Parts: sequence; C-alpha cells; structure tokens
Amino acid sequence: MPSFIEKNHFLLRRLHSLTGIVPIGVFLIAHLLTNSSIIWGGGALREGFDGAPFKDRGVAYFQEEVAWINTQVPHLLLIEVTLWVSLAFHAILGVYYARSGSANTDRYPYQGNWRYRVQRLSGYLGFLFIFYHVATLRWGWTFLIPGGTEWSFRYSASTLAAALHGSTTGLTTVGVVVSLFYFAGVSLLVFHFANGLWTAAITWGLTISKAAQRRWGYVCAGLGAALMLMAWMSLFGALAVKHDDARRIESQLHHKAAGLAPKAAEIADTN
Amino acid sequence: MAQHRVIVVGGGLAGLAASARIAEAGLPVDLFSVVPVKRSHSVCAQGGINACNEVARQQGYSEYEHFDETIYGGDFLADQHPVLEMANWAPRIIDLLDRMGVPFNRTSEGYRDLRLFGGSLFKRTHFSGATTGQQLIYALDEQVRRYESEGQVTKHEFWEFLWPVIEDTAQGQRCVGIVAQDMRTMQVRAFRADAVVMATGGCGLVFGKSTNSIICTGAAAARCFRAGVWYANPEMIQVHPTAIPGADKLRLMSESARGEGGRVWVPRKKGDNRPPRDIPEGERYYFLEERFPAYGNIVPRDIATREIFGICVNDGLGVNGENQVYLDLTHKDPEYLTKKLGGILEIYEKFVGVDPRFEPMKIFPAVHYSMGGLWTSFTKGSYNPETPRTKHKSGTRPPILAEVGQGMQLGALNNAQTNITGLYAFGEVSFAYHGANRLGANALLSCIFDGLFCGVSVANYVRDGAPAKAPAGDLASAGYDRVVAQEQQKVKRWVDSASAGAAEPRTNPYVIGKELGDEMTAACTVVRHQTRLAQCAGKLAELRERHDSATLADGASWSNQALGYARALSDMLVLAEAIAKGATERKESRGAHYRTDFPERDDANFMKTTLAKHQGGTTSLEFIPIDASLILPTARTYGKKDDKATPKPAMAASAS
Amino acid sequence: MSATASSSTHSRPVARPEAKPGRTVRFRVKRCDGPGKPVRWETFAVKPEPGANIISCLQQIAASPVTVDGQKTTPVAWDSGCLEEVCGACTMVINGKTRQSCSCLIDEYAPNEGDEITLEPMSKFPVVRDLWVDRARLFDALKRVKAWVPIDGTYSLGAGPRESAEKSESRYVMSTCMSCGCCLEACPQYQLEENPDKWPASFIGAHAMNQARLFNEHATGAVLKGARLDTLMGEGGVNDCGNAQNCVQVCPKHIPLTESIATIGRSVTIHAIAKWFRG
Repeated sequence: MPSFIEKNHFLLRRLHSLTGIVPIGVFLIAHLLTNSSIIWGGGALREGFDGAPFKDRGVAYFQEEVAWINTQVPHLLLIEVTLWVSLAFHAILGVYYARSGSANTDRYPYQGNWRYRVQRLSGYLGFLFIFYHVATLRWGWTFLIPGGTEWSFRYSASTLAAALHGSTTGLTTVGVVVSLFYFAGVSLLVFHFANGLWTAAITWGLTISKAAQRRWGYVCAGLGAALMLMAWMSLFGALAVKHDDARRIESQLHHKAAGLAPKAAEIADTN
Repeated sequence: MAQHRVIVVGGGLAGLAASARIAEAGLPVDLFSVVPVKRSHSVCAQGGINACNEVARQQGYSEYEHFDETIYGGDFLADQHPVLEMANWAPRIIDLLDRMGVPFNRTSEGYRDLRLFGGSLFKRTHFSGATTGQQLIYALDEQVRRYESEGQVTKHEFWEFLWPVIEDTAQGQRCVGIVAQDMRTMQVRAFRADAVVMATGGCGLVFGKSTNSIICTGAAAARCFRAGVWYANPEMIQVHPTAIPGADKLRLMSESARGEGGRVWVPRKKGDNRPPRDIPEGERYYFLEERFPAYGNIVPRDIATREIFGICVNDGLGVNGENQVYLDLTHKDPEYLTKKLGGILEIYEKFVGVDPRFEPMKIFPAVHYSMGGLWTSFTKGSYNPETPRTKHKSGTRPPILAEVGQGMQLGALNNAQTNITGLYAFGEVSFAYHGANRLGANALLSCIFDGLFCGVSVANYVRDGAPAKAPAGDLASAGYDRVVAQEQQKVKRWVDSASAGAAEPRTNPYVIGKELGDEMTAACTVVRHQTRLAQCAGKLAELRERHDSATLADGASWSNQALGYARALSDMLVLAEAIAKGATERKESRGAHYRTDFPERDDANFMKTTLAKHQGGTTSLEFIPIDASLILPTARTYGKKDDKATPKPAMAASAS
Repeated sequence: MSATASSSTHSRPVARPEAKPGRTVRFRVKRCDGPGKPVRWETFAVKPEPGANIISCLQQIAASPVTVDGQKTTPVAWDSGCLEEVCGACTMVINGKTRQSCSCLIDEYAPNEGDEITLEPMSKFPVVRDLWVDRARLFDALKRVKAWVPIDGTYSLGAGPRESAEKSESRYVMSTCMSCGCCLEACPQYQLEENPDKWPASFIGAHAMNQARLFNEHATGAVLKGARLDTLMGEGGVNDCGNAQNCVQVCPKHIPLTESIATIGRSVTIHAIAKWFRG
C-alpha cells in the first residue's frame, strides 16, 4: 500500500480532502437537515395534523421525509454506494495520515494545535460512531441496540426513539450511554467537517492571507454552529419522542395513505 | 595525475563568495566551517554595502571617490591599489547580489534604495532592512548550496581548522592542505588541496565581550601565524561607537541608525539625571554635530568612538554618570524606522526591553572588527600616475573612470596570497583594504570582492602555478602525517589533563579567557599608552604560563567543546601578544590606534605596515613600506571644529 | 519590516518583572553524552548577572560544572553563534517551548530566588551531545526545494530584475529565515528521522515551503518553480501539512509561514491541474 500511496500521493491527498466535502459533507448537511426536522418539522404545515401538538407534527413531518427518501430506491442505492466508498476511502487514508503526526498540545496549547489534535481524534471516533449508527439503524444489527427494536423507515421516529432510549418504554441506563455516544459522535463529526472545510481552503490554496483564513474561519465556524444546532436538535428531538406516541402518529400516516379511518388504523397496527 | 582540489576555510561572505567563484571556474571545493555556513558571523552585519551608484554618480560621486574615502577613512595605512580595484568593482558586486535575489530595499519606482553611511557625504550604501549581512550571506549560501547539490562543493561543517600543511620546496614554502578536526567525532585528519583559502574572519573574542559571534576567536588566523604566515597591522582593532552593553556580548547597534538620522547626545549638565524626554533641546549636547558640522553623527567609527569615550571617561558627561550616551531616533516617524531599521530596533527592544522608536537608546563603544590580519600581496593594476594625487575633492570629476584592472591585475597569482605560496586570505582575516580604520559598509564589500576577484587568482594558481606539475593529491603522505601527529599530541595534552568539575581559577581555561578579554579591552582598545601596554605584556605572559598548566573538566572523546575552547585560547593568546606588541611599537596615533603618549600621526616613521612574524614561539615585528602611489596623505580631520574633546592622557579605562 | 510594525501609538512596551538582584536560579538540564547514550537530568545553581541570558549562564556552568548536589560533572555542550538571534544556532527547548536561548533573558524567565529553568535539546533532530543537535536535515530540505536563484554565473551581467518596494519587502520578511528549526520542533506533523534515506518522504516542514515561495516569487527564481512544486506536491510536501499552525506561533522572525504554506498549496493545485491538461 505505501508504494501506491507514494505514487499517487497528490491525487490521494486531494481526493481525501475532496471526499470529505463532496459527498460526505454534503450528505451530512442533508442528513442533519432531515433529522432535525423531528423538531422544526412541527412548524411546517402537515395535512391531517392541523390540531395536533407541535411535537406530534414534527414527528409526522420527519416520518414523511424519511419515508420519502427511503422509497427512492435506485437513487438511494447510488447514494449509499457512493457514500460508503467515499467514507471508506476518507477513513482509511485519514487513519494512515493521522498516524504520521504526533500531538503536542501539552507543550504548545495553541487553539490551532488543539483543532489539529481534535480533528484526528474526531476522525477516529466519528468513524466508529458512523459504523455503529449505520450498523444498528440500517443493517439491523439489533444485538448492538440492547432493548431497542429494529429500525424501520416505516416507523422512523418510534424505532429511533427506542434505539436511543434503550427500550420502547422510556430511557434506560443503556439508553443514556447510547445517547451520550450519539451526542459525542455527532458533535465531533460536525466539528470534523467544519474544521476540515477550513483547512481544505488552505490546502487547496483558496485562503492565503492570515485575514482570509480568519474570515473563512468565521464562515466555517458559523456553518459548524448551525450544523451543531441541527445535530443536537435531531438528537434531543428523537430523545423527546415517546415510542408509543410516535408509533400512533406513524400508523395514522400509514392508514391515511391507505385510506383507513384513524381508529381502525390503530387497531390494525397493534396486531 | 590526481584531480586538483581547493580548500576554503570559513563559510562567511568571503568563504562563500570564494567557493562559488572557484567552483564556477571548474575546480572542486572543500568548504570547512565550525558552524553550518549559514550561521557564520557575516549574518550580524547590519547596515549595508557601499558602492557608487547612478544617483550618486549624477550628484558627482564616483568609484574613485569611494576609493579616496576608503583610503582617507583608513588614515592612509592601506595599500592603495587593491582599494582602488575594490571600489571599482563595487557596483558590479551589487548588481550580482541583485541578480542572486537579495531583497534590497527599494524606492517607490522599484530601484535599489540608498542610505547615508559614515565617512561619506553621498548616499552610496545599499541595504536590505537592517540585516544586510544576513541577506547577503543567505544569497551566497544559496548559490553555494546549488554547487553543493551539483557535487562541485563539498561542505565540512562542524570541522575545525587546526593547522595548514606546508611543504618546503626549492621554490619556497607551499601550502598543500590542512589538518582539521570533526568537532562531533573528534576525528583529526588531513585534507589535501592545491590551494587553501583562509576566510575565517576576525578575532573579537580575544577582547572577551565584543560585537562578534562566539566563534570569532581568531584561532584559525593565529594557527596560520604560528605556522609561519605573516600577520599585518595586528594593532588595528576597530571599536564600534554604538553597541548595546550586555552580560554575554556587546550587541551591535548599526551605524545605519545614525545614517537614517539618529543623533548622539548627552545632557549638557553633569549629573542631569532627568529622563531623556524631559530634557529640553537646549540642554542636550549633540557633541558630534557641534564638533563636526559637515559629517555630524556620521563621522567615521574611530572618531565617533573616541568622542563618546572622551565624553564619558574624561568629561564625565555619560548618561546617569555611567559609560553610556544616547543614540536618539525618537524624532523620526516610527513607521519609517520600522521599515528601514526594523531588525536592529527589534534587537534593542528584545535585549533591553525598551522600544527605541519611542525612547533614546543607551549605547557605548565595543570591539567590532579587525582591520589587521594575515598579510597578503597583490599585483598592481594599470593605473599608475607619475606622482600621487592630492586628496580628491568631493563631488568633482575623477581622474579616471572605473575599469577592471586599474587597481589590481585580474587573475594575478599572488593577489590575496600570503607569504606562503598557495595559501590565500580573504575577507576580515586579511589585512587588506581598510588600513587603520574601516569605513562602515565596506566590510561586506571587501569580503565579497576578495571571493570574486581574488578567487580567480586561486583558480589560476592551481592551473598555472606549482600544482600544475605537482598536484597535492600526488604528494607523499609524510608531510600530512607529521601535522596530524602534532595536532593529535595537542588533543592528548588536553584530554590527559581532564578531571570532572571545575579547575581552580589559576588553571581554569574559562577564567584565563575572561581575564584575557578584560586585559585586552582595558589596554588595547580606544585609548592606548606605553605604561598600560607594558603592564598588558606582563599580564599576557602570566596568562600564557597559566594556560600551559591549565586543565579541563571534560576528557570526552566525543563533542568535547571544552577542549576546543582551551585549544583556541592558546592561539588567542598568541594573537593577543601580536596585537599588544603592535600597539606598543606603533608610536603614533592613526585611525583606530590612538596613543595618548603619541597623539599625532607620524607618516615619516609609521605610514608603514606592521608586519608580525612568529618563529620558535616568539613574535617579532617590523615595519614595511606601503603602496601609497595614488593618493598623498593629508590630515584626517573630517572638518572638526575644535579639538577640545580629544581624550587627554588618561589611563585607558575598560571600554565596557 | 517586522511584524511589530503596525503599532504607531506612542505606547511603551510592557515593563518587565523586577528581577531580584543576587538571586540564585536553578537550571535543570537534560543531558546525553552522545548518540545512543543514556539520558540523565542534572541541576545547576547559577547566580545570573544583570541582563543575563541562557548562554551567559551556560558559560558560567561550563567554567564551574558542579551540580546542586555538589557532584562534579562535565560542562554542558550546546550550540551557539551570534548571540543576537540572527544566526539560529542556539535554539533549544526552554521550559518546554522551542526558542533561541540567547534572547531568553533570565530576568524574565526566573525573576525570583530559586526559580527553575528547564533546558532540553530539540526533539526533532538527533542529539549530538547534551543540548547540541544535528540539523543537517533542515539544510537538506533547502536543496530539495532548490532554494536559490539560478543565475548564469558570477560574471558581470548588469542588475537583477526590478522589483516593487512592496514585493521586495514581502520577500525580505520571508528571507529572514535563519534555519533555526523552531517551526519544525513545534510542528506535530514533523517527526524525528535519523535516516537520511527517509528524509525525502518525510514531511519537509514550514521553513522549506517558505523558501520555495520566496524563490518562486523572484522573477529569475521562478524558472525553477515547476521543479520546486514537483517536489512539494509529492510525499512529505505541502499536502502533509496538518494545519496546526504552530510554526507561525513560534517563528522568532515572525515570518508568515502559514501564508507561505497556503501559497504553495495554491501553486501546487494550479500546477497539478495545468500538468494534467498539458501532459
């Protein structure tokens, strides 16, 4: 592998930088936008939920968004494959590159040096998190979600809440651990992306002067803050969801789509 | 036949310029230096480099006037033809440096900017901020690195020159290589060469604290001297008027500070201890401006030094009663100062803690440069008037327009060659060009000029001289082995003396070194006197005796710096004796050499080169005629108004 | 031309702490007799003169090498030159940070009785002895980026290219690099590498990229721009920079190293694209 890396050093380095932004970064933005709709979706009008509480409307919005995405099968497959290839590439090379340095924030505790260190740390932890996140919620590795149920896009909010709570009835100790892991994971990934965007501009030579780097730094920090807000909204929004309430709303949506009365839908669903 | 090789000892401006020129001539060069060449002492040069330029030329200046200023500034002690050639070459050297990419300060139109410097009424000094020496040596370092990467130059960094290998032949003595020691592994070995260029700089450390780098011991020159190379004008030591006193060294405050408008003053009233900004203009004594209306603060260094020394030591007018005067730039725009002098102002702020843009600096003279050095010869050039001319009138038409070869014959084998065939001396280690006092911004010039101009002579000598028939590579090894054995013996003497912990002060090399510095500074700097010099001779004898029985605290056979220092100290003691002897025997005052018991210049007896020879452990002196065939000596007054402040016959005090 | 240029207000610099005269300062020195030899720590007590710096204290120790425990030892070996922070020789790690020891004033670092200063050799270069390290790799890097203007020779060929004052000033700042190695010592991406065969593939460091930029920006020096960029786009080049930006924080000459790195980044991007299309 080293000789291949040597030969294509420049290309690989720049692809590494590029894949972090497109597609991974772009997906991250879209993903967090969708996920955080579990809160902000409540503000968007939902047909059939006119009188429902804000929270319920968010769950409904989220469910419809997720269901729509998950039914775009050929596109979804393409997106997933692209993402996986990019992620694997970015992660494997990232580990290889990160291993070439050694942190020295103890002696040089400058802000930039800390970001250098956290960038690498967040790379390692972030990848672990992504793996866990996908394995549990996408591939159905339920043994990794003790107490949770298999995630399904048909019941996106309720199964998500169960996975985070560690049960379908409320937050358990395991759920606290899982949620903290999520909190750390998403926060670090957002940092990784925002800081990576800042360093990429230097690597590619877009920002040269100190002033330009500072200005671009503000932009990246702003974007990072917005994404961080969305990430936290997604997480806390999902945590705030009660499994049964969500399940009721999701069923309501399914039955509405199938043309059944809400009451019948509930009965049909519990069976 | 073995391939020809040239050794250059010293990687400062002179050594690098020589290496580049000789490598360019197609000869492989071995470059020896005790430090990575980029760290040589040339980096400390600040102010600039002199050369006639188009602007000055149109104002009436000329290469000839530069030559005239240098001779006059040197108080008519320098051989004149080499100086003429150097002045003629100066503009070409600036152009060459410009092509090498030296970031000279520029005018708004993009031409090279110029500043005023000591000893001239014309702006003729080119500069790169206030770290011109650094920028010039970097440019040459880069060129030599290029030759190095092509295999034409081989660097031997952290190798210390120990002794020249000199062969006795029917035609006389000939240098065929050197013996050197790797300062890390301590390996001593011989290197063969068809010619050896010494470019090892000055000897400031003989005076303990000076403006020089820690490596400027003068040991290399002293070793050549001990091996039979003549040493000329040892007593001509320049004391720079403006330095920052410090615990480990006296840091230079460039002449450019005055060239850019800096004013030297003290409070008029003795004991006026008010902060400088509270002293009104009328109560300040701008003594240089008042005494030298034409040149003011930019009188040559020896004069400024003596005036400052006199004001402090004799008149007791030093700031706060101490040996220091103000060098004031606070009337200038801070932005302008930063642009033109940033580097040196930063040094002051860093080491003193005061921003000189807003508060006057406190400065005092310090040992700076050795005009004397290894004696070298030359072949006169084509300009030979029937009788010497009178001093050139500033700004008038010169008698000749500059052309190559008027001063020295380009490529003559003996240019910059010592009395030993094949052994050359370039730069500060040579005695040429600066006479009894060097003008500011002429040192960088002389170093590069030697390398470029006399480097041709070295190449020609290797091709056409003795090495043509008998390359050093084909010589028997016995001559080399003998010198290696001699040097290994010295190493053994020191290693055998070693025991951990400090030696008692009497036999501690560091204590002996400090006493040497104090003694030389007290007796042989600004003001000299027979009685004090006699006392100094006694002290030096005592120090030599103590050094013979000195011991080391380190017997390591790896990277032993204590050994290096102790060994260099024996050489410094020899050089110190030559300096003191020269100062004693030269019974007159000329340039930097000022004798209170002989305050006048004596051309009849002493417009001569002091020639020191070392044989069988003793140094003898003689005075030999100089080449004064171009300019007649005149009184060197720089238009001084009164001579009230000339130092009176006072016992010389420590200059620090 | 320095970074301190901007302040045109008539403010005096901050007063330094008042140092106690006649105090004793302790120096804890990391020592090593040579490559492969064990490391040991020794502590020395020194009474610094007013205005003393690390060098003058090491000189005192050399004259009388006895530790605080009264143990006789050898003098500490160290590298130094100009003593005015322009040659770069005396760089070491002082109280955990890299800097020149000549400009490190004892009055600032140890103003009180019994204050201790820790001295270590730079960690990114092989130790020769004690505080003395071998920075050959640093100079080797200058060869790799062809840090010179390829002039035709030393013969007289007239002046160099004319240059605006602004350009000259910006090159001057870059050209004040004294190859001290601070930027490399503080860089988390630059690692100790004793094997010269591995230097070309190891991260070259900020100083070399700054030198490459310096010569790329000179009209004649630009002739070699392509060759420099070929080196710097490869392994160990600009892409290996992790943008921790410690280099610019510790540079004693205030060289805008991160700007130089970004400039090389841009040049390399353009160079690569142009090369791809041009073949």
